[in-house]
Amino acid sequence: MPKGLKPDMEILLPLLAAALVGAGMFLLLARALIRVILGLALLAYGVNVSILLTTASPEPLEPPLINMPGPYADPLPQALILTAIVIGFGTTALLLVLSLRAYQVTGTDHVQELTEKPDPVELVVSYADPETPSLSPEFAPKEDALEDKKGNAKS
Amino acid sequence: MNLLALPVLIPLLAGSLLLLLPNRQLRSLLAFFAAVLVLVCELIILQNVLSGKVLVLQMANWPAPWGISLVADILTGIMLTLSGLTGLLTVLFASSSLQHQAHWGKTKGLNALRERYGFQALLQFLIMGVNMSFLTADLFNLFVAFEVMLIASYGLLLLGNELPQLREGFKYVIVNLIASAIFVVAAGLVYGLVGTLNMADIAFKIAEYTAVQGPDARIRLLAMLLALVFATKSALFPLGFWLPNSYPVPAAAASAFFAAMLTKVGVYSLTRTFTLMFPEETFIKTLLLVLAGLSMLVGALGMITQSRWRHAFAFANVSSVGYLLMGIFTGANAGLAAALYYLIHSVLVIFCLFLIAALAERIAGLKFTLSGHLNTYPYLALAYFIAALALAGLPPTSGFIAKYALIASLLNAGGGLHTGLAIAAVLSGFLLLYAAMKLWRSFFWGEAKVVHKVALPAGMKLITGLSFGLMVLLAVFAGPVYQVSNRAAMQLATNQAYLEAVLVRIDGPRIGDEPKPLEQDGLTEEVN
Repeated sequence: MPKGLKPDMEILLPLLAAALVGAGMFLLLARALIRVILGLALLAYGVNVSILLTTASPEPLEPPLINMPGPYADPLPQALILTAIVIGFGTTALLLVLSLRAYQVTGTDHVQELTEKPDPVELVVSYADPETPSLSPEFAPKEDALEDKKGNAKS
Repeated sequence: MNLLALPVLIPLLAGSLLLLLPNRQLRSLLAFFAAVLVLVCELIILQNVLSGKVLVLQMANWPAPWGISLVADILTGIMLTLSGLTGLLTVLFASSSLQHQAHWGKTKGLNALRERYGFQALLQFLIMGVNMSFLTADLFNLFVAFEVMLIASYGLLLLGNELPQLREGFKYVIVNLIASAIFVVAAGLVYGLVGTLNMADIAFKIAEYTAVQGPDARIRLLAMLLALVFATKSALFPLGFWLPNSYPVPAAAASAFFAAMLTKVGVYSLTRTFTLMFPEETFIKTLLLVLAGLSMLVGALGMITQSRWRHAFAFANVSSVGYLLMGIFTGANAGLAAALYYLIHSVLVIFCLFLIAALAERIAGLKFTLSGHLNTYPYLALAYFIAALALAGLPPTSGFIAKYALIASLLNAGGGLHTGLAIAAVLSGFLLLYAAMKLWRSFFWGEAKVVHKVALPAGMKLITGLSFGLMVLLAVFAGPVYQVSNRAAMQLATNQAYLEAVLVRIDGPRIGDEPKPLEQDGLTEEVN
């Protein structure tokens, strides 16, 4: 903890970080995909605030430029946060698309229902039949019907 | 040594170009050339580090604690070479397996789509992230490398949009994002406490601090946070629940590379963290040792329960991570050397097993429940049999040498915990053997009920054969390879070479010095 941070900010900023992380964790435990994503975003904000806090200073400091007299503010945590924000932005976008796609495919955005959808385990029915020796599908008649079945367990 | 940047830059360039190329053949060709180039660079790096040097590249010529350094010692050289070998084979396997349609059910037509929508490009980005995490000597840069690697792996995992992919992909992304958030916090706190992000500098300052002040709870907290992050990435027992379901869902080539390299990145980071930065945290090391023993057993037991190819091998992967970390945290040099040999063995064997699984899935679907394939596919059966022996650790395979060395080092270390772990290692070896033979019995052995022959693509067979050959070579050249891993372990144990190479520069200041005041020439007057 930096020395001499003004007492009110010294309490407020960690509280803010804790509140953000707490809210994020609460949302992460929810069952709806969108809440989980929002929870991750809040978690990332809490993380960023806490990094900003590591080198915070009560005094107004100079920007780290050569012609400034100093003492200089440490620019590195802000660079770290900037990188983390950019990465978080990308992953949040990916997650949103992913949850949208999951909703389109399964018709639900509920984690439990999503988990209970069984895998379409691929075991071709004709193959398991000992009476009819199966051909390699390359020589078999083409059938596109199998492509249409989405999400149905067959085994 | 500009060479060190190439294993990162070549895949980056190749991946970007791959997104632009319109034609499948061109894409395969470019990906192949990029992978070969990277492998050549990595072999040159390996040759250099084996001569005893530690290679350092200070990015943009910023001196060590301020800029980002890329460093290669023997461990890095080994990891890079493994990533190059498996990367090249994966690229080739992907070009072959994505060209030919899978025969069964819904996956028909899927592979062509995967290829069309950037599989090869994502694979290059993944290789880039993996190489970067091996090379970097900067904690925050390591985070960035992890993110590059993970984002590419999200892409590969989700490419194809199947229901299992969406479901497991979501879990995979969430788990990794939480781990990443903890990683960022840990990196930020390290910077706040130690004032640097360069790993060598962190090691130096923490050693200096604890020598004067004694152990500090804050340092232990940081070590704990990093251990949590890397244990999640390397799928250590209670944190590895995400792995066995998520690794089997992407395209076969992608799962093979995931299983071979991605968990090993976590293991590598754990090794660096606890040999370089926090060598004194014995409590956390013991904790990790116990968890490693547990994940070894859980992985083996999990493999027994599975009836699908890649699910079973994913559990085998968890078990092998357990063996690895057990060797690394034994606390003795011999254990570290054995673990590094085991690491090479485990990468090659798991990779080979996943390729065999890919071929077998072409034959009879995701499950291995249909018996009697021994006569129709004798070579596949042979490859699987040897690989299974290597997995379980029976002679004459490399698995026997690796596990023998591991268990011997545990017994030599003495103490109740280590003896118990040695017993657990033997037991887990038997469980793995049982699981592997169960698979053998239900797929290869027994009466063939149907005459069934699928034309397997020649490329896939060839690559599987090559990876099998690598595994055999590891057993044949066990002596020289073991010597290399021994030297890597010696280098890790002292760290002297690493620290000196990173932190001392000819014209730069020494670590611990105050930074030189910047020369105020011309620039100030110009501004004023």
